[in-house]
Amino acid sequence: MSGHEEQSGTTGGYEPKIMAFVCNWCTYAGADLAGTSRMEYRPNVRIIKLPCTGRIDPLFIIKAFENGADGVLVSGCHPGDCHYTTGNYHARRRWIGFKHLMEFTGIDMRRLHFSWVSASEAIKWVDLINNVTDEIKKLGPFMEYRGLKDAPPQAAE
Amino acid sequence: MTDKDMEKTLREKARELLTSGEVKVVIGWGWNRARTKTTPIFITNPDETDRLIFNPLCVNNLSVYLTRKFKDIQALGRPAIVAKGCDIKNIVVLITEAQVKRQDVFIIGMVCEGMVYRQELWKGELTPEIMPTKCHNCDVRNPHVADFVIGGRSAFTPPEAPVGMVFEKIKALDGQAPSERWNFWINEFSRCIKCYACRQVCSLCFCERCITEKNMPQWIETSAHQRGNLSWNLTRAMHLVGRCTFCGECERACPVNIPLNLLNQKMIGVVKDAFDFRSGYDEKTHPPMIVFSPDDKENFIK
Amino acid sequence: MPRIGVFVCQCGNNIAATVDTKKVAEDMAKVPGVVYTCDYKFMCSSPGQEMLKQAIKEQRLDGIIVSACSPHMHEKTFRKASEAAGINPYRCEVTNIREQCSWVHHDQTKRVGTIKSNDLTRMTIERLKKNSPLTRIKIPVKKKALVIGGGIAGIQAALDIAEGGREVILVEKEPSIGGNMARLSETFPTMDCSQCILTPKMVEAELHENIKLYTYSEVEKVDGYIGNFTVQIRRKSKYVDEDRCTGCGECIEKCPFKTDSQFELGLTKRKVIYTPFPQSVPNVPVIDAPNCPKIQKDKCGACAIVCGPKCIDFKMEDKIVTEEFGAIVVATGYQLMPNERFDEYGYGRIKDVINGMQFERLASSSGPTGGEIRRPSDGKVPKSIVFIQCVGSRDEKKGVSYCSKVCCMYTAKHTMLYSHKVHGGQSYVFYMDIRSGGKRYEEFTRKAIEKDNAMYLRGRVSRVYEKDGKVMVQGADTLSGTQVEIEADMVVLATAIVSRDGADTLAQRLGIGYDKYKFYNEYHPKLKPVETVTAGIYLAGTCMGPMDIPESVAQGSAAASKVLALFSSDEMAREPITSVVNKVTCNACWDCVTACPYSAIERDTIKNRQGEVVRWVAKVNDGVCQGCGVCVAACRSKSIDLKGYTDEQVFAAINAF
Repeated sequence: MSGHEEQSGTTGGYEPKIMAFVCNWCTYAGADLAGTSRMEYRPNVRIIKLPCTGRIDPLFIIKAFENGADGVLVSGCHPGDCHYTTGNYHARRRWIGFKHLMEFTGIDMRRLHFSWVSASEAIKWVDLINNVTDEIKKLGPFMEYRGLKDAPPQAAE
Repeated sequence: MTDKDMEKTLREKARELLTSGEVKVVIGWGWNRARTKTTPIFITNPDETDRLIFNPLCVNNLSVYLTRKFKDIQALGRPAIVAKGCDIKNIVVLITEAQVKRQDVFIIGMVCEGMVYRQELWKGELTPEIMPTKCHNCDVRNPHVADFVIGGRSAFTPPEAPVGMVFEKIKALDGQAPSERWNFWINEFSRCIKCYACRQVCSLCFCERCITEKNMPQWIETSAHQRGNLSWNLTRAMHLVGRCTFCGECERACPVNIPLNLLNQKMIGVVKDAFDFRSGYDEKTHPPMIVFSPDDKENFIK
Repeated sequence: MPRIGVFVCQCGNNIAATVDTKKVAEDMAKVPGVVYTCDYKFMCSSPGQEMLKQAIKEQRLDGIIVSACSPHMHEKTFRKASEAAGINPYRCEVTNIREQCSWVHHDQTKRVGTIKSNDLTRMTIERLKKNSPLTRIKIPVKKKALVIGGGIAGIQAALDIAEGGREVILVEKEPSIGGNMARLSETFPTMDCSQCILTPKMVEAELHENIKLYTYSEVEKVDGYIGNFTVQIRRKSKYVDEDRCTGCGECIEKCPFKTDSQFELGLTKRKVIYTPFPQSVPNVPVIDAPNCPKIQKDKCGACAIVCGPKCIDFKMEDKIVTEEFGAIVVATGYQLMPNERFDEYGYGRIKDVINGMQFERLASSSGPTGGEIRRPSDGKVPKSIVFIQCVGSRDEKKGVSYCSKVCCMYTAKHTMLYSHKVHGGQSYVFYMDIRSGGKRYEEFTRKAIEKDNAMYLRGRVSRVYEKDGKVMVQGADTLSGTQVEIEADMVVLATAIVSRDGADTLAQRLGIGYDKYKFYNEYHPKLKPVETVTAGIYLAGTCMGPMDIPESVAQGSAAASKVLALFSSDEMAREPITSVVNKVTCNACWDCVTACPYSAIERDTIKNRQGEVVRWVAKVNDGVCQGCGVCVAACRSKSIDLKGYTDEQVFAAINAF
């Protein structure tokens, strides 16, 4: 089942759906800090908390796009700050591979963002969400991906 | 040394290995019944080694028969495998990933001057036009890891910058707009019938239970729509990053001609640039996706 | 079908101001599997928790969602309440609709906040449906502690643990415990003599029935995990039988060879068979093998001839002992930055330029001059002396970026000691800022300036050079805006405190983190100051960064209290967020083994009835696994999953997006 009702309301028009995969120790805490500091940012992001960016399988990102995400954000501790000492280094390696693969497949990289946000970088988190949301808003819904399910497979040549 | 001479040495060596009991099975190439194509054969009887052949049609990468996917072959006992340099690269990865111990396999390395891309193209003579991209850039025509090498030393040196259709096409795709690449791939993948021939033929796809067979959760949508096709092909490509040796078997096996070599070679290039790693040369170095360096480049991470 | 209850918290007006909590509760009631929903003013309050417990019983709920503040705030609270009402705590999940929703979306119409709260809660509900009940992991605890480093922090930790009735092995690299504190003369701000307060503690540690001292020893290898560490310790050969030695000192007396004393920082010589200082604990000499002619060339042997109990053995070899511990305290201390880096100050080139620690030795009554301030070059009493602060500290280009914290205080102390010992002498201090935060510290530095006549000059020194037996110091006095040149007899550099050589190697053996200066990382800089990311390993003292004696002692005690708390029960319980291997599908490629940051994954075998190995599989050691999930993402066949964050749970959440 799919939630995420369209949030036209106050702004009018299209509101993108953005999925964020974040680590528990840095980015999640940074997003909490944005709250405790009563900052404001675009409401389009839905966070999924994981212990570490090292836990993030690239397939999560593919799954998010499959489920109608217009953009995906992946974020964790800065290099050297990982709660598990090296989890984010492992994550970075995978991202390097995955990012190039997605790019080569033709995914618009404005829809897939990687970031380091520490537990104290509430401002960075807010700016990141706002920028990513605005950028994806301009791009519009990810119809290319969303449409894939309904397109019938072509017959082999 | 001609193919005929190599064949002769190969048969003698195989007989010797089987007779002495040093190996229990020799994995090699033989003729099909019509003697028009080569096919994998498994010789356990020393009297049958004359069935082994070697010629430019021996394009199949036999290393897949060393994997856990073929338990009945493993059950025969210690194998000897007839392998070209490119095939040996896969064996090296299998050793790195603990799928086979170096001492548990006898590698008969064949010096190779190139193969035909598809056996149907064979007209009795090996010309550059019918050779795959990998042969034009091959730096392992003299087998780099082997217990016994057959053939006179190849003098071939690969060109400094890789040449061939695959590289040209990658360059062309890189130069296109994302939407054009997207359309290209979606069109290519749309033909995918999820027969998984690419996986079956690949010796590095050695998982006993492939991710696509895992439900709860269902990682890959198995129904034949384009979205499932995309996730299958992306996932397989991702699983091969830093491991694929560009043997080309997946593309050769694909019944609907999806250009998988493009995807895999692109990622080989990425791994080379980002981590200075080439798969299949050194069994002691871990594939780059499970290790890291604190200095990895990260200009795209904001 | 699950029976899930959803509780939406208003948090007073904190959530309710921008989220229609009633509507969220109503909407969630429509989600399949949800049988009970409500909203309430304060879910974390006692009535709120009671309500939750009551609903669990009345509605026979088997899963709980609390949509409230961040799980970092109250996840534990609600899980505890659920457990009390008979639900497995891991079948309770918290949705963050405050910090990540109501507080950051200020839409007063409540539209935005309500939509987002609905989405987030729905994602959590779907995730919860896939939550398996988990049981906390029980690990047996070996009630014996290892303390690495016999300075004041390590001694304090060892004594406190021993007083708590637990066994301790205190490992010290040098022949005596005492550490850097044993070198100090007086201590700020009370001016009591360092030896006088330290020595009794050293003796207490030596005599304590629960403490075993391994001096002249080093940690070689650490295996295992919290409660169950196996540690190999190299006991370096002392060439003296510790058990039989009476400490009479006859051997030291008769030894004809001398070499530089490390303890005295090269200010004087010591014998080749030696104790670092007279009050050494244990009072057992060691032979400095590289400098001993008997061991090197089989010449001499005087010590063995005069030794009454015949305890000298030139053939003695290093011994590796293996011990098991439940916890480890790391208190390896600091060293000073090598002054040779600071050529402009002439250290190493000009004899009368020394560092602060050397000045401590000159001022110490047990030091090379018996406590008289005499300069190294000619032994004259310096009539004027210049102290230069921040040598290497707060200087990212040539040294380190941090402040070494104690130099302001000890330099003030040095000026006082100097004025007390050398009447009519004049001291000058070049400083950047005077940092004297701490109980009675500010009064102390004021006293140095006002009562003991130390001349404080705010500015940096540009050059130090020799001229006619004097040490000339050129620098800036930024307060008067003038260049000054002082004709000094001696210069003392307050060089930066840095981590010990080899600190990184030890950290790698222990599996603990360190910063770019190789100071060890605490788990949390504020709330977990003596823990490390590796459970069961604690930190104390200056191995973490510069600190003074009271802080080091407090940390030693803090680490000890952590150890004693761990040892207070036979088993310890920990969060069951660990990886688990599906043995049926594992390919034994060992990618997980390579990727694991904690070496928590082992190679295991499955055997048939005849005991033959039929296949190899990965196996996660629950005691070591910290639950990061790196292995899960590395596994291509999806044969590892992380409890609490399983693929199914994450997928369910994504699918509800």
